[in-house]
Amino acid sequence: MTSAAASLAMLERRQQVLANNLANVNTSGFKRDMVFAQLVGDAVAATSTRVDLSAGTVSESSNPLDLAMEGDGFFVVGTEQGERHVRGGNFRLDADGRIVDHSGNALLAESGELTIPLKSAGAITIDGTGMVSTDGRALGRLRVERVAAGANPQHEGGVRFLPDASREPVPPMDRRVKQGFIEESNVNPMEAMTSMLQVLHRFGAAQKTISTLDAVRGIAVNDLGKPV
Amino acid sequence: MDPALRAAATGMMAQQTRTQVIANNLANVNTPGFKRSRAQFEDLLYQTVQGTQVLGTTDAFTNPAIQVGRGTRLSAVQRMHMQGAIDQTGRNLDVAIEGEGFFQVQMNNGDVAYTRDGSFGISDQGLLTTSNGAGLMPSIRIPDDVSEITIGATGIVSVRRGNEVEPTEVGRIELARFVNPSGMLSLGQNLYAPTAASGIPSIGFPSEEGMGRLQQGSLEASNVEIVQEMVEMITAMRAYEINSKAIKTSDEMGQIANNLTR
Repeated sequence: MTSAAASLAMLERRQQVLANNLANVNTSGFKRDMVFAQLVGDAVAATSTRVDLSAGTVSESSNPLDLAMEGDGFFVVGTEQGERHVRGGNFRLDADGRIVDHSGNALLAESGELTIPLKSAGAITIDGTGMVSTDGRALGRLRVERVAAGANPQHEGGVRFLPDASREPVPPMDRRVKQGFIEESNVNPMEAMTSMLQVLHRFGAAQKTISTLDAVRGIAVNDLGKPV
Repeated sequence: MDPALRAAATGMMAQQTRTQVIANNLANVNTPGFKRSRAQFEDLLYQTVQGTQVLGTTDAFTNPAIQVGRGTRLSAVQRMHMQGAIDQTGRNLDVAIEGEGFFQVQMNNGDVAYTRDGSFGISDQGLLTTSNGAGLMPSIRIPDDVSEITIGATGIVSVRRGNEVEPTEVGRIELARFVNPSGMLSLGQNLYAPTAASGIPSIGFPSEEGMGRLQQGSLEASNVEIVQEMVEMITAMRAYEINSKAIKTSDEMGQIANNLTR
């Protein structure tokens, strides 16, 4: 009975994670979570979540401050709590001319924060290596870092990740930064729906197991002791 | 079950906002100079719970942490300042900007606003105004006895009066451009106001220093593409549906759990 109860708890956890994935089906730069379960003693339990870092569809948006990346890698933003990894998305300019994400965290270049002169007449161009220039004048190269294969960066919300310990800069030659493109969420709604159905049915099965065991005990307790 | 229900509810709310933005885009599919908007989302904070760990194992692969996200939220509605199609109208006071820049107009309260809508008219004082009556800056006066108005690609407005053969120059249209037009504040009526994020306007003549060139007898159509908006609307609807299914599933699971006690 304990193992059936444990499996109810595990499935509940799985449903919570699936609901979050589905809620973020249109969040650009979002990476879905997967729940892993393991046999602990006699019972199955949710042991960990892992971020699926596979790429989402990259679609053209024509907005000059939409940045996507082909292949692996993260951009680096500076928050009050330290540096964070983001997987592209859409940025904007703030009042000081810094390129920032929606929460106002500056996108970091190799030389630190970049400031685009707001009086400049030229458009901002960002090439495949992450070099930001305006009016044909290079301002600095964006930092692009990658984490080791199999690393499990932790979510922070705001589509940011805590940098994994295995972070290392990606050499400019290996980068494929795409300006005017946006990476969509990597949640596959079909797959998530199927997983959700699976969760529901297993949940029902686990509940039936408990009810059946309970009925069996009921017989044992109430009927066995009865004088014939 | 609560976190799953709430995460799915945030997903439904997000898709609802997205549909509102799409509906506004579609409503303005024929508004000259209109720029479409786009809703952007981000994930909410995560709750990190300790996963069950097998005692005595040192499995480096298993990081015993479960991160449960709390859903999504709207992070921004961003205006997309891409060029709209240039439509020939044949009306000599219709002016489209091909490339970057905004016309500067003076609103009734004296503030300067910026617009891409070049369907001009002439006020009772003979001044060039936008279709909602805001005067173009710097003001250009069109004399009464004009038989022909020409607006050149570089902004020079010249008129032919009465039976004159030679045109006379009466003014020159200036454009303003911003390093970050997406940061401008939308005032409605096709007008925009600068903000700290859009930067200071740099003013110049059309066709010079990266400014767009003017095209008389044309209007810039709205940059809303019906097909794209329809596709967005379909995906928004499906995503809404899928989140409602997540709520339903979570609810059914709650019901099953409730059935544990007989």
